[in-house]
Amino acid sequence: MSHAGLASLLPLPVVAPLLGAVAAPLAARLSGRLAVVVGAAALATSTMVLARLAPDVYRGEQLTHFMGHWTPVGGAALGVAFSADAWGLTYALAASAVGAVLLVYTLSEQGDLGRRELGGLASLFLLLDAALIGVALTADVINLFVWFEVAALASYALTAFFLERPRALEAAFKILVLTTLAGFAVFLGAALLYANHGATNFGQLHLALAAGGVRAPDTVALGLLVAGLATKAGLVPFHGWLPDAHTAAPGPVSALFSALMVGLGVVATARLTFQVFTPEAAGPILGVLMVVGVGSAVAGGLFALFQDDLKRLLAYDTVSQMGVLVVGLATGEASGLAGTAYHLVNHALFKALLFLCAGAIVHQTGATGLSEMGSLARRVPWLAAAFVVGVVAIAGVPPFDGYASVGLIHDALEHGGQGGPLVLMLVAQTLTIAALGKAAWMAFFRRRDGDYDQCERLRPGMLASLVLLGIACLASGVFPGFLLDHMAGPAAGALLAAPGYAAGALGSGAALPPARVTFEYLRPAELALVAATVAAAVPLARWAAGVDRDGRVPAVLRAVQSGSVNDYAAYLVAGLVATVAALAWR
Amino acid sequence: MIVGNYLAAVALFCIGLYAVLTKRNLVKIVMGLSLIEASTYLLLLSFGYRAHSTAPVLLNPPSGRSPTDLAAGNVADPMLQNVCLTAIVIGVAVTGVFLAVTVRLAQHYGSVDTDDVRDMRG
Repeated sequence: MSHAGLASLLPLPVVAPLLGAVAAPLAARLSGRLAVVVGAAALATSTMVLARLAPDVYRGEQLTHFMGHWTPVGGAALGVAFSADAWGLTYALAASAVGAVLLVYTLSEQGDLGRRELGGLASLFLLLDAALIGVALTADVINLFVWFEVAALASYALTAFFLERPRALEAAFKILVLTTLAGFAVFLGAALLYANHGATNFGQLHLALAAGGVRAPDTVALGLLVAGLATKAGLVPFHGWLPDAHTAAPGPVSALFSALMVGLGVVATARLTFQVFTPEAAGPILGVLMVVGVGSAVAGGLFALFQDDLKRLLAYDTVSQMGVLVVGLATGEASGLAGTAYHLVNHALFKALLFLCAGAIVHQTGATGLSEMGSLARRVPWLAAAFVVGVVAIAGVPPFDGYASVGLIHDALEHGGQGGPLVLMLVAQTLTIAALGKAAWMAFFRRRDGDYDQCERLRPGMLASLVLLGIACLASGVFPGFLLDHMAGPAAGALLAAPGYAAGALGSGAALPPARVTFEYLRPAELALVAATVAAAVPLARWAAGVDRDGRVPAVLRAVQSGSVNDYAAYLVAGLVATVAALAWR
Repeated sequence: MIVGNYLAAVALFCIGLYAVLTKRNLVKIVMGLSLIEASTYLLLLSFGYRAHSTAPVLLNPPSGRSPTDLAAGNVADPMLQNVCLTAIVIGVAVTGVFLAVTVRLAQHYGSVDTDDVRDMRG
């Protein structure tokens, strides 16, 4: 197919789930399960279309399609552009493929819900996934705001999906307040960029910023956008909504939030930082990202360590992992960016796996707290195996997938001479391993006397999804060279080629040279770091497992994470003001 | 007068933010967010203002002017007004979800105080 022909396929990956979102409630009138099947089929369609584009895009081409064929006139874009570069395509592929797997799992686990419920669940699920793919592909700042809001609205409804549970309502109110505030920030930031430059197309904005220099209103706009997107990504101090929303939602929905939705913030932040602005032009943006990233990585790990609720523990770990991704961006180096692209995919795989396991435990036994669990390895061995695969993947134990991606980010920090952040990242990694190790031990391997009220076996669809994700975690770790050459390297190259991306986003077929990134898989120093973090994590996990639920340390953390929506909004506003001030202060 | 717009936007924003940060009543928080929302619309419309401009309607221009005159620069920026319309539609949907959740919360807890609605913490 020709270049333009391929590019004209670009709206399809978003349109398919949007159509599915309309069709699912209608299909639910016939059968609830049919609605979910429609959803999975829509996302499978998206995946196939994106996979058809992948060979060209990962070779370094950028495909751009203007909606309604409103092509640029004299360098001014009139229509909304969808543009696929390697960075966006990587996330879009992860969002559609993992989304389809999650829907298959939903079909199997939640298949006995009512027709109306399943129709609504499938519809909202597809809306959210369509918005994520839209964020990945759009090259227009106002369109970015629209997808942000579509994702936000779908996430509100999904959080409150179990309307009869007070906790779901509480979580929904918190996510509503914080994400609405974040939406205002993104809205104002996008409008400010337009008001300053008369452009909404990323390429046109980049050219205007490069020609006229980045002035104070531009940095304010960038600060607003980054703070708003960081809220969606759940970075500290914008994270107040995240643990509650993940705890309250059904298992596959938590998996969707944690594995895919939060990535939206990182993907769009990277685009704005590297392709619209450039780190050289936007002053201390990389420093801001480094502080936020390291802070999130450490704080998320610390909070995770002391959680008793399994899903909440995983949710805090998501905060930590998002921090790791942002640190990769903040290195500004090809290897760090490739590490972020790689880890984005890996995180989608292992966090989906872990949340599905957690959801399955809650669904099957009714237990939510780790202190109520135990001995599950004997009762549901497949679940235990899947959870352990997720834990060792996150812990970065070779040959699983976390090893290479986190290793790349560590390499970039080491290479950039950022000793302090590197040490803090290793601390965060230790905390993460300890938190998840504690969870695995307490839920699966600790002896528990007495029987569970109910404990069913895994159904085939659930098992298939878990096995698929587990194999993907392993495969992504076993072939780092292939993935670096054909996915992460091109993604990093696209982020570093701002002028090329700008030209491409305005419709000229630019080439984005893939970045050459190598990772020495068996480097002794790398393996020693993994061994050291695991060794340090074991006693920490043992200690944390022994700490009483109302022990000393959690009381301090409870004071910070107070549960009051006013406090969370205050953290967000403080973070917003600090981000804008740091960027505008030059 | 356009300065007045900016001042009004800032004032609305501050009142809204004050409500969100300090009021424990859920309904007042929703009202605060609506005020902030309104302030962003006012701000955007003011961004789009041009001195001595007319409304960006290019059909049936006033006597003595052609559509080209209007398009050439002495109309307010229609793009930002468009964006505002989009945001207003989204804002209505969000407020609807907000109030639905608040009603359900009030039914469950018998209270609309944020301090009563904080089971999840730490």
